[in-house]
Amino acid sequence: MSITVLRLATALYAAGAAAYVVFFARPRHRRAATTGYALVALAFVVHAISIGLACSEFGGNEFFNLRGGFGLLGWLAAGAFLLLLRFWPIPSVGAFVTPLVLMSVLPGIFGLGPNAHGAVPAVVRLPSLKLHVATAIGGVALFAIAFGVALMYLLQEREVKGKRFGALFSRLPSLDALDRLNQRLVRSGFAIYSVALVTGAVVAKNAWGSFWTWDPQQVASLVVWLLYGAMVQLRHVGIHGRRYALLTLAGFVLVLTSMIAMGAVPNVTRHGGSFQ
Amino acid sequence: MSEVFLVGLSHHSAPIAVREQVALKDEVLKAGLRGLREVGGVQEAMAISTCNRMEVYVLADSAEPARRFFLDRASTADGHLYERQGSHAVRHLFRVAASLDSMVLGEQQILGQVKEAYGLASAAQTAGSVLSRLCNRAFATAKRVRTETDIGRGSSSVSQVAVELVAKIFGDLKGRAILLAGAGKMGALSAKALASLGADRVLVANRSRERAVALAEQTGGHPRDWDELPELLVEADVVIVSTGAPTYVIDAELTQATMKARRHRSLCLIDLAVPRNVDPGCSQIADVFAYDMDDLQKVVQATKTARAEEALRAEAIVEAEVMAFSAEREARAALPVLAALRRQAEEIALAEAERTLAQVGQKLDEKGRRSVEAMARAIVNKLLHGPTSRLKQAASNGDSTLPGAAAELFGIEEGLADEAAPRAEGSPPSVHMMALPEKR
Repeated sequence: MSITVLRLATALYAAGAAAYVVFFARPRHRRAATTGYALVALAFVVHAISIGLACSEFGGNEFFNLRGGFGLLGWLAAGAFLLLLRFWPIPSVGAFVTPLVLMSVLPGIFGLGPNAHGAVPAVVRLPSLKLHVATAIGGVALFAIAFGVALMYLLQEREVKGKRFGALFSRLPSLDALDRLNQRLVRSGFAIYSVALVTGAVVAKNAWGSFWTWDPQQVASLVVWLLYGAMVQLRHVGIHGRRYALLTLAGFVLVLTSMIAMGAVPNVTRHGGSFQ
Repeated sequence: MSEVFLVGLSHHSAPIAVREQVALKDEVLKAGLRGLREVGGVQEAMAISTCNRMEVYVLADSAEPARRFFLDRASTADGHLYERQGSHAVRHLFRVAASLDSMVLGEQQILGQVKEAYGLASAAQTAGSVLSRLCNRAFATAKRVRTETDIGRGSSSVSQVAVELVAKIFGDLKGRAILLAGAGKMGALSAKALASLGADRVLVANRSRERAVALAEQTGGHPRDWDELPELLVEADVVIVSTGAPTYVIDAELTQATMKARRHRSLCLIDLAVPRNVDPGCSQIADVFAYDMDDLQKVVQATKTARAEEALRAEAIVEAEVMAFSAEREARAALPVLAALRRQAEEIALAEAERTLAQVGQKLDEKGRRSVEAMARAIVNKLLHGPTSRLKQAASNGDSTLPGAAAELFGIEEGLADEAAPRAEGSPPSVHMMALPEKR
């Protein structure tokens, strides 16, 4: 049941992304952007329902492996995107962010069911676990949107600086707007990710007996946290624009590789799935 | 029959020396229009007066009064004037309003100027129903052209390009400063245009202190010393350079040092001088956006090419609107005859119905009486349906013989037709077919 609902959500995400791409190609059709927003919002709700159904159907353990994690990432990124556009109406961002959302949801609809059945083990069933999962994936979701925005910045910078005043030039927002948006996303993502680190340590104390055990996942998270922390600090010494955008790209690539490495290589970490 | 005539001259046909002789403004123009209206045969008059054109539109029997309007003011205008008549005059006005006849294709001001011209003629009470309809159609045409084609897109002047570029780098200029270095004319123009992005302040630096002060007054800025240039480069975010210096005023070395002092905040250098004043190597430096006159001109040129393509689509819209306007005007010409014909027929029908009711009315109830009236009206409708549609058809094809023949055949006088609009009291407001009662 949950998988059918998830497929519906994915179809809605795909339609929303398509609408945003159409808007980017033909900025005169403002309705494409509003349609895209409505579709993504609907997809977000349907996705939430599918997550709820999956938890009651399969016990919720599936969200602790790579596939489920990416699904949650797409869901929170969509939510963050919807919220972002409320306060910062730059609809052209949609053409860059919604395809990312779609891609992170896609793995979940292949295969017939979850690849990790069962309930979440009792040792980690703590209030701080919920907060840990939400903030870890929420922080990464913001980093993902920052990645899309940084990409837009680099494209626009190439146009502006290279004196190519073509279609991209007129469709992309100003460099200043993209730079500031990127900075805000990195800053808030970092703050949320910090909470994930602390709550993660609390859960680790319960499950593994110690706050810090140099588990590869812990080390990777620390590196990511330090990198984004450095970016927040570097802003004050004048790193911005192109170099900041490049750092944002690098940061997210690191997040992505560590996520995939921890999830795909067996027994490299005790984090997630097994908890032992 | 009177027609719309246009007599005028524009940047296409006349040099500025002639244009300025016939250019009239406001009250003088109003008086001129009233004077023109006094001339025999002239029913309506309107004039478009901009720095690039002076055109007089009249509803009259001939173009001669409008011609005289020009020649009385400047005999030199002879030979520069163009004349259009009927649908050609209509097309010309539509093209002007849609900015297809402008010096800068697709520029936005002309529509406002045409609206002003119409407003002026209305105020002078020289614009009647024909010119009003003509102008409203022209405005609608211009709006269609603007929304359905890309003729207004892009930047058509160097200073506009500069504004667009700066907007793509900084968004707006709130809290930022513009530095105007040098006293070139293009520089001052661009600085003014950039101020529209909301810049906090304009700093003006020039080798001659007096020129700096004068330029600062002109652009609403603050004069600064030329020697301060390195510090000014740190303070400002957008720098417009247009000095007469034969060498680089801002070289790569200075820019490097500036960027360090700015903590790498983005800097936009716009070099409007020829020979160039900004080292082209500056654009290699991170977070520096440097453009020279060539870069800006290229954008202007690209805009021109794109607009010329869009103009073809715009012409098609204009053509369709001209046809629609002409058809509407001719259909309107047949309306008085139609209205009179219909009124006459209705009067006869209702009078006959009344006579019948006077004889047999007491035998009928309210419903029955109404159905007798309805029947009379239905007969009128059915009888006139064919002639009505054929008259309208003939009129929109430009055939004026059929309405005339109809008037003669049914014995309708022209004078009577003109009063047709206000209906006779007591007659029903419309002549829709009424539904007959179920019982037959």
